[in-house]
Amino acid sequence: MKILACYSNKGGVGKTATAVNLAYQSALNGYRTLLCDLDPQGASGFYLRIKPPKPKAAREGESFADFAWIAGAIRASDYANLDLLPASAEYRNVDIFLSRLKNRRSRLKKLLRAAGEDYQVAILDCPPNVSLLSENVFKAADRVVVPVIPTTLSVRTLEQLYRFFRDQGYQRRKLLPFFSMVQHGKNLHRDTMVALQKEYKRLLKSYVPFSAEVEKMGIHRAPVAVFAGRDQVAAAYRELWREVEGRVKLDNDKGEDGH
Amino acid sequence: MESFVYHLPASVSAERLGRQLPEESGLELRLDHQVGREGLLLDTFDGALYNSGKILFSFDEGLLLFDLHDGRVLEQAGPFAGTVIGDMVKGPVVDLLAELAPLRAPLPVASLRLRREEGRLVDDEGKTLVRFYQMMCGRGQGRMVGVGCSLPLRGYEEAGEVLRLALQRCGAVPCGDGKEMYEALKLSPPVYQAKPEIVLHGEAPVGDSALLLLRTFLQVARANEGGIVADSDSEFLHDYRVALRKIRSLLSLFAGVFDAAATDSLKGQLADLMRTTNGLRDLDVYLLRRGDYHALVPPSAHPGLKLLFDELLGRRHEEQRRVNLALTGKAYKRKMAALARTFSAGRGALKPGPLATEASRPFAARLILKRYRRVCKVARALDETTPDEGIHRLRIHCKKLRYLMEFFSSLFPPAEIKGVIRSLKQLQDCLGTFNDLSVQQNFLATLLASAHGGGARAVPLAYAVGALTAMLASLQARERGRVFDSLALFCGEDNRLIFAELFDSRQEDDEDTRLLQQ
Repeated sequence: MKILACYSNKGGVGKTATAVNLAYQSALNGYRTLLCDLDPQGASGFYLRIKPPKPKAAREGESFADFAWIAGAIRASDYANLDLLPASAEYRNVDIFLSRLKNRRSRLKKLLRAAGEDYQVAILDCPPNVSLLSENVFKAADRVVVPVIPTTLSVRTLEQLYRFFRDQGYQRRKLLPFFSMVQHGKNLHRDTMVALQKEYKRLLKSYVPFSAEVEKMGIHRAPVAVFAGRDQVAAAYRELWREVEGRVKLDNDKGEDGH
Repeated sequence: MESFVYHLPASVSAERLGRQLPEESGLELRLDHQVGREGLLLDTFDGALYNSGKILFSFDEGLLLFDLHDGRVLEQAGPFAGTVIGDMVKGPVVDLLAELAPLRAPLPVASLRLRREEGRLVDDEGKTLVRFYQMMCGRGQGRMVGVGCSLPLRGYEEAGEVLRLALQRCGAVPCGDGKEMYEALKLSPPVYQAKPEIVLHGEAPVGDSALLLLRTFLQVARANEGGIVADSDSEFLHDYRVALRKIRSLLSLFAGVFDAAATDSLKGQLADLMRTTNGLRDLDVYLLRRGDYHALVPPSAHPGLKLLFDELLGRRHEEQRRVNLALTGKAYKRKMAALARTFSAGRGALKPGPLATEASRPFAARLILKRYRRVCKVARALDETTPDEGIHRLRIHCKKLRYLMEFFSSLFPPAEIKGVIRSLKQLQDCLGTFNDLSVQQNFLATLLASAHGGGARAVPLAYAVGALTAMLASLQARERGRVFDSLALFCGEDNRLIFAELFDSRQEDDEDTRLLQQ
């Protein structure tokens, strides 16, 4: 199982939209995919019309760290191959979960398989802050997909993220930044993209344009490709997935954690 | 995620089904898809699909298979070609069929009106919680009945239960096979069995038991005639020939049960009948091996192999025409009717011989034990230097033993008799492969001598036949070793004790005498 995190230390950059649309593309390409909504606001679940589990689902003594609880909380989406682990108040223990995710990934895989599923891809939709949670995400994930709006402020936060990775000793090669909400009409966007592409070699080539269709995800409550498959933004997510998939596959070839 | 596979005795509208949902559940039923069309219900001649709980439909666009064990639905585009499953265009449906009966062709069971329905149960936010799928069908103007499956999505098992109860309130009953649907459509389930279970009585005169067996085998043979003539698949001819061979073997093996002169005449007639189809069966066997042969030889021999199979196909076409003429002719029909009379229990039946009145069980036990000892004796005389003919003779003895045990299997404890038949079957498989390899080499040699044309075709053909013969010879040498291994097992101490225990009637007599004297 490959773990991809969608993360940004800045809000409103299209992080949840990225997680949902990438997860949909992953599933569409035949990978058994689990989207984990780690953001307590539960926006991923909202986009997939999946209601948060009732509190009674977690019995006394069970916590989010319990794998059995996870298996029981998973809900199928309306799309083949795509399941969701909905957001939950239980996430107060999420750091424990994630530390286990890192150290006992094989065990998690086994447990998910025992629960009847063998996920090939897990996509984590993370809350926008630096916390114990996000640090665990950095450890556990194979790749961290980072949406960046090509503006001065976003570029600053990307620099901060790279510095943070360097200072904490995390593998910077895990970071896969890409341009999000791009408005080609704006000089600032164009210039920033050119400048950053020179500076960050690992920056993904595909980018996602600013689009009203992404905002409409909240109305249709579905991934973009489902209701606006021909729109350029749907094509952009397809292209983004292809590139991310290629980067993850590279690891497979090295036999780091083959599935 | 428990799926619910059901039989629906009558069409239910989405509205009616929806009304069965409890109001407080907040769930709503949606029918997304409803397509009506004409189609066919298919099965193989021997009911391989019906017997394994699967229903196969064909319509203009393709094939649809409903698995009643797990509710799985497989679909495949492309028309129904009416060929053998192994030759059908690969796809999800054909792959599954190939596991069941690769050599059989699916045949139409009935023309049907079909209606496919797909729907789901959604919550108040429009999220799908359960999907369901139904295949309704009807004959002529008759009412529609169907099979269906509802499957809750992961995490929504409670909603799955709600739909299951609603379906049951509309008459759905759980089902694991097609029995309900066939009954509702007034179709009789496929009854043909290549090996029907024949229950004999141990005390009954062996003459009566033998006639019962003969009648049954003749029925099996006759049931296959239509399929042979239609040339739907090669299994019709195979089953036909096995049935006739059993009749012939029975007449030889049961020496003394029937009048000797009558038996000899019958055996002659049977041999004639078999001869009619010998050529066709041989060619079938080679054509069935096409894939294996391809894999055996290097690619450089493939063009020649194609010529070889073209030649065989041409010959087969001729043979099929000849067999069709014979099987549809008046003389053949008269012969078969006469055989049926001869095997009947009434007047005109086969004249009894001196042993006809012996009780069936001791007769069976004596014959089986005698044949087993014969097999062991022949086996002891074999060694690494024995020519192929010696091994061939052993194969014939084994075949006779197998037939005897199968004829009489109902007279002995089922578990034990199955066990010894299984051990014999293992030996027979080795012997069969060994013999096949030897026969194939001879066939190829004669074929090369008699193949049509020469010139440009002769060289690649000879090359392919040469490559194939070399491979077959090396496979045969390997098989020879395996024959001796299985022989050692079959004639070993353990098996000898089992045979003695099962079939030695003297032991039983001793036991009876002992009990009587107590």
